[in-house]
Amino acid sequence: MRYFILSFIALVFFVFESIFAQMFAGDAFGADKILVPHFMMIFVFFLTMYGSRKMGMLYGAILGLTYDVVYTEILGIYMFLLPFLAYLISKSMKILQNNILVACLTALLFTAVLEVVIFQMNIILSFADMGFGEFAERRLIPTLLLNLAFIIISCYPLKRMIEMLDLQGETE
Amino acid sequence: MPQFFNKKLLLLLVSIIVLVALIGFSLREREELTWPEQFLKDTTGWVGNVFNKPVSGITGFVGGLKDLQHTYDENKKLKARLDEYVLLKTQVQDLKEENEELRDNLKKEDDLRKYSPTQATVIGRNPDRWHEMLTINKGKRNGVEKNMAVITSNGLVGKVKSATDFTASVQLLSSIDKANRVSAIVQGDDKAYGLIEGFDDKKNLLLMKRIPYDKKIKKNSLVITSGYGGIFPKGLLIGKVVDVKVDQYGLNQTAYIEPSTDFYDINNVMVVQREVDGVPKESEGEDEAE
Repeated sequence: MRYFILSFIALVFFVFESIFAQMFAGDAFGADKILVPHFMMIFVFFLTMYGSRKMGMLYGAILGLTYDVVYTEILGIYMFLLPFLAYLISKSMKILQNNILVACLTALLFTAVLEVVIFQMNIILSFADMGFGEFAERRLIPTLLLNLAFIIISCYPLKRMIEMLDLQGETE
Repeated sequence: MPQFFNKKLLLLLVSIIVLVALIGFSLREREELTWPEQFLKDTTGWVGNVFNKPVSGITGFVGGLKDLQHTYDENKKLKARLDEYVLLKTQVQDLKEENEELRDNLKKEDDLRKYSPTQATVIGRNPDRWHEMLTINKGKRNGVEKNMAVITSNGLVGKVKSATDFTASVQLLSSIDKANRVSAIVQGDDKAYGLIEGFDDKKNLLLMKRIPYDKKIKKNSLVITSGYGGIFPKGLLIGKVVDVKVDQYGLNQTAYIEPSTDFYDINNVMVVQREVDGVPKESEGEDEAE
């Protein structure tokens, strides 16, 4: 039952990202700024931090693959990156203090890492042609602001919900 | 402990190899998606459809309220243009009849301009905005196929990149992809042919390349599809020229085109099927090149 709830929430985040992009693609925040919602990734990060590493990596892989298939049509990038970042985040949480502020900042930091790595991948595959400065100004900073807002709104409910589902028992 | 480390390193290496293989596999020009991909797309498409209805209802209502504010001014402007419109309409009607008559005389039935449209609603957009793609709620069951042109009431927006049974992905003209090209004409006394390839997303302008250097191109002239790509019908509006530059070797010109559609605010589209068949598959032309 709890896996069903978890999967359902994951699906809602997955679809919501696309609808958000569709609704706010226009010049709601200035025409040349590009805001990328990474809600699903933040969900995976929180799942890793407050649930278990195994669950985080598993959901990361499945959601990443679905994301690749449905949205980008370049298989592999998100599927590989999400579990990898989930792994790193679980490692870093062992060093860092486990309070909600640190968790939020870590999630934001890893969102930035994700965005930069995706940018580099697209440069390699020649699907992007902007310099790093332009990328930082037009994509990275607006994206981080958007996702920071999302993290602030949703960190507490997400934490409560994941803790209520009690996935800690799964840890090795 | 060293053994444990090795296991993880091995896993990392294997997954990097799988990653590269998968990217290579998906970058290949594919005729059709594999069935697991189609299944995933159809399923998420269905879910997206369910969520999209209430959301678009609300945004539609808010948009309606915003429009209401400007109604008075708009109405005045539109009234002023109404007379012009009636005149234009009679002229178009006249020309159409003449065209048909002449066609009858020549017994020429093929027309690159003719197409049959399929209405579709946009149910999603690629959130990572590197590949500008939309998902629409019509698929193979409704006759949508790969490489068909996608238009809105304002003009061309892109082409179908892949179609599954119930959904299809539309690649927008603004997406940066070498395989994304459209053969186009700059209208004027002296028609100039070229290819729409590339997008300057800082200025929101499309690039039309490979126009011969001796063509004189006036600013504000309209750009339409040529229909020579093999798939697109002729005469779909793309935009208007705002700037022309000679390329670095002086052999070609590049025109900067302001697209007639807003690539960011698309809710309803039409997928158009040209009535004249394209050339055989091997040489499907510019739209498929590379």
